[in-house]
Amino acid sequence: MDIQEYIASGKLELFLLGELTEREREEVLELAKKYPEIQQELDALEEAMFAFDQLTGIAPSAKVKSGIFDSLEEEFRNTKGEEKSVEAPKIEAKVVVHSAFWKSFAVAASIVAVLASAVAIYFAGKFHDTNQRFTALLQEQQVLADNLNQVKQEYEQTDSRLDRLVSGDFKRVEMLGEALDMQKDAKVDVFWDQGREEVFIAVNRLNSLSAEFDYQLWAIGPDGPVGIGIVDPSQPFNLQQMNAVAEAGAFAITIEPKGGSEAPTLEKLVVLGEVA
Amino acid sequence: MEEGQLIAGLRTRDRKTVEYLYDKYSTALFGVISRIIPDRDIAEEVFHDAFIKITNKIDFYDESKGRLYTWMANICRNSAIDKLRSKEISQSNKTNTIEDFVYGFESESGTMEQVDGIGVRELMNQLNEDQKFIIEYIYFKGYTHSEISEEFDIALGTVKSRVRAAIQVLKKNLDSI
Repeated sequence: MDIQEYIASGKLELFLLGELTEREREEVLELAKKYPEIQQELDALEEAMFAFDQLTGIAPSAKVKSGIFDSLEEEFRNTKGEEKSVEAPKIEAKVVVHSAFWKSFAVAASIVAVLASAVAIYFAGKFHDTNQRFTALLQEQQVLADNLNQVKQEYEQTDSRLDRLVSGDFKRVEMLGEALDMQKDAKVDVFWDQGREEVFIAVNRLNSLSAEFDYQLWAIGPDGPVGIGIVDPSQPFNLQQMNAVAEAGAFAITIEPKGGSEAPTLEKLVVLGEVA
Repeated sequence: MEEGQLIAGLRTRDRKTVEYLYDKYSTALFGVISRIIPDRDIAEEVFHDAFIKITNKIDFYDESKGRLYTWMANICRNSAIDKLRSKEISQSNKTNTIEDFVYGFESESGTMEQVDGIGVRELMNQLNEDQKFIIEYIYFKGYTHSEISEEFDIALGTVKSRVRAAIQVLKKNLDSI
């Protein structure tokens, strides 16, 4: 797997922004464990995101801090009070023994009040958790819908190509590299419907090229070669639609500088196939 | 304080550790919230709740899934986004832009003091238009990447790579400020 490409995809940034699904999160964590480069990039990004927040951040006012620590006071006391709680029941027992009837009633009432608050807090917490999970689900659903949409588009594209292929009058022209010096085992098929002037190609075998070059398809007709599109070698056995052609005696592919050329570079002829 | 020590202290609800956490991270975390919510009073209210949530939920934090800061920042960001979408704010219909943030903006309760204006302005000027747009929507308007893709009809992959490009620019230039 290409680690640089993975890093460049932007997935790690979304991971840190908390926008990935649970499954994608697992994937990032696993890869980070496996590849130190990914872990390093995550560390550097976290560092940068913190630095950005710190630089653009403003200190909240002092009353916020005191407000927060007042709210947390009970939290702090509860944990420290664990040891003391052993003494508490004794005191309560004495109170009950020495008190009049209304005092025990008051104790019972406070116990009920405490229980009721505990139940209220418990359900408030539950509600909050559920709410959060619901939001997470909504986000996940959004991502799923996006994926589905993409798959649907791809399916429709493929489906319409197949329709045209089946309903049309396509001739198959095999282009081979056997007789040429560039790539002996290269093989690309052209499907040509002369009546409707439609051309599809399917790459069977074609080496990949460096970024400065492209494969260009030529239709060789009565007026010489005409460039009819760039061929993507990375999608073997996938139909790619090319430009329209009405007249051709042969098809060929050459290697051209990125984006294609006006006229073919004949020394870099990779495959050639004559129309039978 | 080491991060491990900090987390252990938080788990025992140790007051000193919580104060240390506050002093070290409150500026950055409040920054996360206040750039999404321009009204200072509301932003502080959201920050209050988010910080309490952080201390209460620390037992759910899992160190193997990322750093403490990232976890806290996401709690703050999500709280701010929730607030932003609640009725209370959407009625006042005011959201942030980078320009507001950099040049200072008025909150309903008065003028919010400016962040270190020049440094931030320089940093933002390093971004090209696409990157500025992405940062504005993700950091200042609280959009997710799929919402940007949908609302502005930009392919998901393009949004992703622009997020990366923008953060790379910030990352590179943060050191020089």
